[in-house]
Amino acid sequence: MSLEEPGPDADAAAVARAADEMEALVGEHVRSRDDHLNAPGYVVRPDAVQDVLGTLREEANLDHLSCVTAQEYEDRYESIYHLKSYDDPTHEASVVVPTPKDDPRSESAAPVFRTADWHEREAYDLVGVEYEDHPDLRRILLPETWQGHPLSLDYDQERPQIVPLREHANPLEDDQEGDEGETMYLNIGPHHPATHGVLHLKTTLDGEQVIDVDPDIGYLHRCEEQLCQKSTYRYQIMPYPDRWDYISAGLLNEWAYARAIEDMADIEVPEYAQVIRTMGAELCRIAAHMLAVGTFALDVYGDFTAIFMYAVRDREKVQNILEDLTGQRLMFNYFRLGGVVWDLPDPREEFFESIRDFLDHLPGSLEEYHDLISANEILQVRTVDTGVLPPEVAKSYGATGPVARGSGVDYDLRRDDPYGYYDELDWDVVTEDGMDNYSRLLVRLREVEESAKIIEQCVDLLEDWPTDDRTIQSNVPRTIRPDDDTEVYRAVEAAKGELGIYMRSDGTEQPARFKIRSPCFSNLQTLPEMSNGEYIPDLVASLGSLDIVLGEVDR
Amino acid sequence: MTGGDVVLQTTNATNATGAGVSRPPSAPLADSIAGMLGLDGVVGAVVGGLIGAFLIANVMLTTTAIAGPWAKRKITASFTDRIAVNRVGPFGLLIIVADSVRLLSKELIVPDGVDRPAWDLAPIVITFSALIGFAVIPFGSGLQLADPETGVVFVFAAASIASVGVVMAGYASNNKYSLLGGLRAIASNIAYEIPLIVTAASVVIFAGTLQMSEIVAVQRQPLVTVAGVTIPQWFAIVNPFAFALFTLANLAEIGRNPFDLPEAPTEIVAGFQTEYSSVYFVLLYLGEFIHIFLGGAIAATLFLGGPAGPVLPGFVWFYVKMWAFFLFTQWARSAVPRLRIDQFLDAGWKGMLVLSFANLALTAILVGVIV
Repeated sequence: MSLEEPGPDADAAAVARAADEMEALVGEHVRSRDDHLNAPGYVVRPDAVQDVLGTLREEANLDHLSCVTAQEYEDRYESIYHLKSYDDPTHEASVVVPTPKDDPRSESAAPVFRTADWHEREAYDLVGVEYEDHPDLRRILLPETWQGHPLSLDYDQERPQIVPLREHANPLEDDQEGDEGETMYLNIGPHHPATHGVLHLKTTLDGEQVIDVDPDIGYLHRCEEQLCQKSTYRYQIMPYPDRWDYISAGLLNEWAYARAIEDMADIEVPEYAQVIRTMGAELCRIAAHMLAVGTFALDVYGDFTAIFMYAVRDREKVQNILEDLTGQRLMFNYFRLGGVVWDLPDPREEFFESIRDFLDHLPGSLEEYHDLISANEILQVRTVDTGVLPPEVAKSYGATGPVARGSGVDYDLRRDDPYGYYDELDWDVVTEDGMDNYSRLLVRLREVEESAKIIEQCVDLLEDWPTDDRTIQSNVPRTIRPDDDTEVYRAVEAAKGELGIYMRSDGTEQPARFKIRSPCFSNLQTLPEMSNGEYIPDLVASLGSLDIVLGEVDR
Repeated sequence: MTGGDVVLQTTNATNATGAGVSRPPSAPLADSIAGMLGLDGVVGAVVGGLIGAFLIANVMLTTTAIAGPWAKRKITASFTDRIAVNRVGPFGLLIIVADSVRLLSKELIVPDGVDRPAWDLAPIVITFSALIGFAVIPFGSGLQLADPETGVVFVFAAASIASVGVVMAGYASNNKYSLLGGLRAIASNIAYEIPLIVTAASVVIFAGTLQMSEIVAVQRQPLVTVAGVTIPQWFAIVNPFAFALFTLANLAEIGRNPFDLPEAPTEIVAGFQTEYSSVYFVLLYLGEFIHIFLGGAIAATLFLGGPAGPVLPGFVWFYVKMWAFFLFTQWARSAVPRLRIDQFLDAGWKGMLVLSFANLALTAILVGVIV
C-alpha cells in the first residue's frame, strides 16, 4: 500500500486502518496477508470464498467484483478476486485463494457475484483452476475439445492442436430444447449482420420471443494476455492494447497499461504529458461513441441509413486529428511509459485550430443526431423499456461504463479514481435512470458533449503551456525490472467501461502474469438478463446498446 | 360484382364518362398492335396480346434494372452524403450491366435439404405475380394491355400472389431465418392487405367502377376551378386521408421500410431470401422492385389521376408518378426506423384496419348522401 499512496503518512495510516477493519470482518477465514500495490490482499481457504466475498460485499460495501485472475505458481494455483466499491472505486481489496497444485479446487464466487460465472470459466479454461459449485463450468474462449490449459506452467506450447470440425463439439448442432418441441433453437452468429463481429448467440425462441440466450465467445481469441507475458514492459507491450478494443479507443486502452506499469515501477508522468494523454483519450472516446451510436442506429433502423454515415463522418474528423497527433489512424501506439512518444505536431496553432473547428461543429452534429435518433418517435417506441437492466443486476454482473451509467449507477473511474488530468478539469459524469436501451444511447450522446468539454479545456491549457516546460516523457530506464512478486491491478475508464490490468512481476523484464479485465466481457454477460422474454429485434437492439467489441471480449 | 356495381353506377351515372354497364372487356394495347399488324379475331387478340405483354414486361424489367443497381444506390447515397457508383459509364450507369453480369455469373448454391420444387418456384412466383399485375395498369396514351371490368380486384389479387411466393421461399429454404421471414411476411400481409384493399374500395365507391380506365377517367373531371386553374378530381385531393392510409399500407404490402420486417437484415439476416444466390437472387430482387413499381402504379391509378398531367404525354406522367413512389420508398428507407413485429401488427390491426373501415363507411355515407 505504501507505494500506492505516496501522500502524507496520515493517508497511509487511514488506508491501513481500513484494511485492518476489513480483515477483522473476515478474520476467521484469513490465513495471511498478501497485499497488492493497489489494495490489501487477504489469503483465504478455498472453501471460504463465498463466505468471505459475501461478508465483504455486505459489510465492507465491496459490491463490485471487478475481475478474477487465476495464475499458476511453482507450488500452487491462485485465484484472485479483485473487489471494489461502486461508490468509491479506490476502496479496494483482493481476495487471494491459493489451491494446491495436485488438486486445484476452489469454491466458486458465482452465487455471490454473478459476474464470477464467466470470469471463473475463463480462469478454468486458460489456467485450469476448477471451481466447485459453479453453475456451468466449461471452457469459454477455447473449443470444448481443447487439451490442457494454455496459461498453466506445464502446458506444451509447441504441441499443435488442430481441432477438426468432426472432432470439435459442433457449437451449431443443438436443435431443440425440451421434449415438447414448442421452442426453436436459433444460432445468431457467428456471422450475422447485427453481432458486431464474430459473436455466436445460442438463442432459444418461442415464436419470435427469446426464452434464453447464451453468448458463445472466443472466436476472436488471439492470446493477447500471453503475448503480453512474452513481451518486455518497456517497449513491447504498449502496441498490444490498441488491438483489444480496436474501435479507435486505442489511447484509452494504452492508458490502462500505462497506468498499471507506472504504478508498478513507480514512474512519474510529467503534467504536460498528462494533459496530452487526457486530450487524446477523450478524442478516442468521442470516436468510439460515434461508432457506437451509428451502429446502434443501424441495428434499430435496419438499413444503411443517414445516421450511420453522419456518425462515421464525424468520427472521421476525430480520426484525422488523432492521425495528426499520433501518426496513426487506428493502432496509435502513442503512449510511452512515463509520457507520450512525441509532442503535439507542428505547427501547433494549426493543430489546435483543427481541434477547435471540430469542437465548434460538434454541437450542431449532436443536435442532428438528437433530431434523427433520440427524438424519433419510432425509435423511442423501439428502445424505451426494452433491454431493461436494473442497477442491482448491473452491479452484480460487474457492468461498467455507459451500460452501468444508463442504469443509473453513478460510476466513472475518471472522477472516482482520478488519473491523468481529469480531476483538474471541469466536467460531469453522465447518468440516466431509464435502465433501457434508450438510456444507454442517451448516455453515449451526452458523454460526447462532456468529452468535448474536456478536450476544449485541454486545448486551452496546452495553448498556454510555457515553452520551456514541455516535457513529454519522464526519465525512464531502458529496462524495467520491477521487484519480484509485485502485484498490481489498475483500471481506467475506457470507452466501454472499466478496463483493468493485473500484473505480477517475477523480477524479469517481462510480466509473469498479465491479465486483462475487459469491460465488454463483463457487459456482454448482462445480455441474457436484458433479452429474455423480449423479441429478437429487442435482443439485437440490446446487443447494439451494449456496444461490445469482440476483440476486447475475446482478447 | 355486378349487383353492387350497377347500383353504384346508377347513382354515379352523371360522374362517369357515360360508360355503359354492358361495355365489353377491352384490351387497348393488344387491339392497336393487332390493328397495326392487320390481324383481327382470335389470332389478332393472341398475337397482339403477346406482343403487348412482351413490351410492357420489358419496360418494367428495364425500369427495375435501372432502379435496382443504380437509382437505389444513387438515391440512398444522396440521403447519406455519399457519391455512390460513378466509375463505370456516364453517372455510373453502366454499373447496371456490370452488376447484372456479376450477379448472373455467380454460383447458384442449392443448400442441403431445400424443398426443391417449391424453393425453385418461389422466385418465379414472386417476380411474375408483380408482372401480371401490370396487365391491367393504364399507362396512358393507350398503353394498357387489358382493361377488364374487375381491374382493381385483379391487380390486388395478382400482387397478393407474391405472399405465396414469400412463404414458399421461407418454408422451403430449410433455414430458420427464412422461416421466420416467411412467417413475418404472412402476418404482415394479412394485417396490411385488408386496410389496403378496404381503402382502395373507398375509391371504387367514389368512382363507381372497378375498371381501371374508368377510375382514371373519373379523376379527369374538374374538382374546382381556382383563378382559372382547374384542379382535377384526383382522389388524393378529394380524400387525402384515404391516400395517406393507402400509401402506408402500400409500403407494408411491398415490404419496404419501415415495414421491411420479412427481410429485416439486422434481425433475421435476409429473411425469406437468405438462402438464394445468383439467378434466383436476381429474380427475387427483380420481384421486389417490380412490386414497388406496381405499388406505385396502383397508387398513381387510384389516387393520382393515372397518366393525367400537363404538357407531357400521359405515359411519361405515369412513369414519373411511379418513380416518385419509388423515391418515396427509398426516402423512407433512409429515414424511418423499422418497427418491431408486434408493434407493426398492432398498428395494422388496431390502427390501420379501424381507420380504413372508418374511411370506407364515411365515404359510403358521403357518396350516398351527397351524390
